[in-house]
Amino acid sequence: MGILSHMADLLARWRGSRGLPFALLFKKFKSILERNNRILELMADMGDKLGGEYVFDRQYIVDACEQLDDHVFKLISDMSVLGQRKNVELFLAFERIQHQLQEEIAGRHHFEGGRLVLPFRDIGPDAEDEVGGKLAQLGDLSNRLHLRTPDGFAITTAAFFTFMTRNGLLALAQQGMQDWDGTDKGLRELSELMQRGIHDAPLPWGLVAQIDAMVDVLGMRRKQPLRLALRSSAWGEDGDASFAGQYATELNVPPDRVVEAYKNVIASVYSVEAWRYRLDRGFRETEVAMAVGCQLMAHSRASGVLYTCALHAGDNCEAMVVSAAWGGGAAVVGGETATDTFLLERTPPYRIIIREIAHKARRMVPAPKGDMTWEDVPPDMQDAPCLTDAQLEQLARAGMSLERYHKRPQDVEWTFDAEGELHVLQSRPLCTTAEAGLCVPVQDATSRAEVILSGRGMVAQRGVAVGRVVLVDHATDLDAFPDGGILVSKYTSPRYARVMRRAQGIITDVGSPTGHMATIAREQRVPAVVNTEVATELLRDGEEITLDATQNVVYRGRIAELDRFERTETDVFEESYEYRLLRRLLKRISPLNLVDPHADDFKPRACRTYHDITRYIHEKAVETLVDLSQRHEALHHAPARRLLDGPPLGLTVIDAGGGTECLPEEAGLVTGQVCSVPLRAFLDGLTESGMWDTAPVPVDLGSFMSSFTRTFSASQAGPREVGRNLAVVLREYMNVNMRLGYHFNIIDAYIGSTINDNYIHFRFLGGVTELVRRSRRARFVAEVLERFDFRVEVHGDLVVGRIKKLSEPRMLLRMRMLGGLVGYARQLDARMHSDEQVADHVRTFMEAISNVVATHHDDPTKRTGGGHAVTTAHSGT
Amino acid sequence: MPSRLRILVLDDEPIVCKRLKPAFQKAGYEVETCTDSATALQRIAEAPFDVVVTDLKMEGADGLQVVERTHQIQPQARIVVITGFATLDTAKESFRKGAFDFVAKPFKLGDILDCVRRIEAELREGAERGDADGGAGKDTSS
Repeated sequence: MGILSHMADLLARWRGSRGLPFALLFKKFKSILERNNRILELMADMGDKLGGEYVFDRQYIVDACEQLDDHVFKLISDMSVLGQRKNVELFLAFERIQHQLQEEIAGRHHFEGGRLVLPFRDIGPDAEDEVGGKLAQLGDLSNRLHLRTPDGFAITTAAFFTFMTRNGLLALAQQGMQDWDGTDKGLRELSELMQRGIHDAPLPWGLVAQIDAMVDVLGMRRKQPLRLALRSSAWGEDGDASFAGQYATELNVPPDRVVEAYKNVIASVYSVEAWRYRLDRGFRETEVAMAVGCQLMAHSRASGVLYTCALHAGDNCEAMVVSAAWGGGAAVVGGETATDTFLLERTPPYRIIIREIAHKARRMVPAPKGDMTWEDVPPDMQDAPCLTDAQLEQLARAGMSLERYHKRPQDVEWTFDAEGELHVLQSRPLCTTAEAGLCVPVQDATSRAEVILSGRGMVAQRGVAVGRVVLVDHATDLDAFPDGGILVSKYTSPRYARVMRRAQGIITDVGSPTGHMATIAREQRVPAVVNTEVATELLRDGEEITLDATQNVVYRGRIAELDRFERTETDVFEESYEYRLLRRLLKRISPLNLVDPHADDFKPRACRTYHDITRYIHEKAVETLVDLSQRHEALHHAPARRLLDGPPLGLTVIDAGGGTECLPEEAGLVTGQVCSVPLRAFLDGLTESGMWDTAPVPVDLGSFMSSFTRTFSASQAGPREVGRNLAVVLREYMNVNMRLGYHFNIIDAYIGSTINDNYIHFRFLGGVTELVRRSRRARFVAEVLERFDFRVEVHGDLVVGRIKKLSEPRMLLRMRMLGGLVGYARQLDARMHSDEQVADHVRTFMEAISNVVATHHDDPTKRTGGGHAVTTAHSGT
Repeated sequence: MPSRLRILVLDDEPIVCKRLKPAFQKAGYEVETCTDSATALQRIAEAPFDVVVTDLKMEGADGLQVVERTHQIQPQARIVVITGFATLDTAKESFRKGAFDFVAKPFKLGDILDCVRRIEAELREGAERGDADGGAGKDTSS
């Protein structure tokens, strides 16, 4: 008889409280565990696709979502059978999320909460749907690149939809487009109809009230009368298409004219020119949505435009071009005034190549009652340069960090105010006529170049960087990191987030592309290669290199062609529709909001993502099985008992046959009564290793990284006592679900005399500290498992280790080791302060565990080390 | 064989063409892309290609037909099939109709580049041996 049918037979004798055979319940329980794992893997795979390494299409996204839908639905169904409840709330949560995903895939947008107005400082990453491309970028500039932008608020796309839908205007536009005869005349008539409709329609009262409230708040912080600039920020604007000059901007607007100005900007969506522009670029009518930014008017002393890359007339050298004039910038953009022109080098210290100072007789200034007007420039300023060298350098630095972030040359509108502060008003892709890079024979340039490193390590963020090597270790003063350097370091560290704005690229000896530094590099789009093993040995401080983090090669010297190619690549993958879609979908899939099972909101109703549902069900499934077994005590079989001795594991043992030797009336059991072979070895390992440390380690929540990941409130962070832990055992089998302190351990094992039947599956996941430490701990666990010959996969902070078909003694040795490992790792993440500590902890653990496993000749702690790289698993393999 | 490998990419999802084109260009290849099989077949009839990268399942056309036609018109062209419906049957079928290699979607850029580099190396070897069937094709002079 095979082990499975044998187990089924034994389990079937045990019946649940309401008559369902235990075999069925346990089967459901195991199916929940397996599905749980599959869902986590799928989510991790989808996250991997955002790194740029993968080519994926819409079909992949649809398929992956369908698979997730299917697994989550069946997960809830299994839970319903296990708990013998209908779980209406869970199914409702599932339907809600599934509906949102389907709407998103269908191109219909769902706005949770539907905020109508949003202060600029609250614009987070991925806010493009809510506030449009241009404002999302401005939010990025101030929140990520720390460039100064004018304060203000956004009237969101949700406001646009509310206004347009209530007045039947969206339907009018869509119908109009359907019926359009294709002629210019027809488009003009439609355009007039739409614009009139917008001007005549009332703004919803609630929206007016919220706009007024925002305007009041802005006015409070100012001494002078409040004046605003209203700028368009539509979907797709400043993405692949620049829409430069297509939509209206209203300047110097007094508070009582904001609503009128808002309508003017909205109406410009339906101007003939804008409509034609969209039609030419294949935008669909359903993709039209406009947010409007209301910015404080800067008191401009000098303003203008910066092109970060232009071909210098005459020779083929690239330079930055600054056009500047006194007063407001509208005159420069509109070409209505003479400007000073500066050509600057594109590398620090941004030397001035050419300086042409114009005669500037007049300037644009705000008129007292709104709008802008001309005035004469004082005679002594008319022929003076309107920018100092220091201001030019500051401007150049800002421009280059914008270009690097957007991976293409930028057209930047800027102003220096009366106090000499630089404000970036907007930045959009610079559309150069010649796609110079594509004609560049990149191959020739790279084939001549000396390769220092090739194919070593893993690409964390694609891109090209040219600059000087800056070797960095934990003692380096990061404040002194030079602008434009390429950071080279032994370890990855989230500390480097501080210099990412100044670094062109990052190369490290160790680290994983799923680690936290890599995440930040992706956020800031800094080209990064990790785990090269040898970078710090081969690269010398100060030498100039070219890092090609698309092909994963480091060349000696500067290969300008490569840099230029990258900048002019026709499509930046982050801006593709599929990439945006996947990112939007993952927002409804991956974030974990239900982190603390003891919290009041650990409820089905609070599930906002598939991850939440999965997490909730896992917790409840374990609880249900324990409950069932305890209620069953009232019946005669009484096979469920608390483990009384050893470390305080809070472990309930359900004996489904031959796993314990207790008298029927005994309510508890001690380790000595456990005869389940795997469980006994596990418990022995846990006890004998002495690695159970009951002193809780305080979690350092003040660390700055917590702001980058989900934040945990103090109440969630307290190291909880162990959960309700469960072991289901037979003589040769065990299934253990154990939540200890900060993480989950799941072990499923069969150990007997038939080598071919033997296996151990170990899963380790979760944790309450920030992602960095959790993933460090995951790496620690993975390395230990590999040393004991487990086949290991790491997905973020989920570690899966599998081993099978070893002899009983070898399996038992590993089971004892797992006992020690579970004890050791219990609160480790709270201590993982640096990446260096991963290796230290592996060493410490291997030494400490040696006395527990030393009885066997196959003791991996006695092997000579080396060659234990942790592999990161990817999908589809 | 030509100094630069000529590659045709066919996929009805523009994102795939958009990603593959610059990647191949950067690796030193000449690239054309199409998003419908009619255009692709027309190009194949007009100009020689060393490698044809094509999706199998597309709206309105069966990629297998493209594989078959390409194999007939330009027997020297190596065909790499990329598809999200990676089943053994379709793979077998595409090999029978003349496909050279098979890459399952989603794939890493590095995977498909490796695949093309392998083809390039083979073609070069074939050309050096003077083996007409080794892929030198009719374009050796260029």
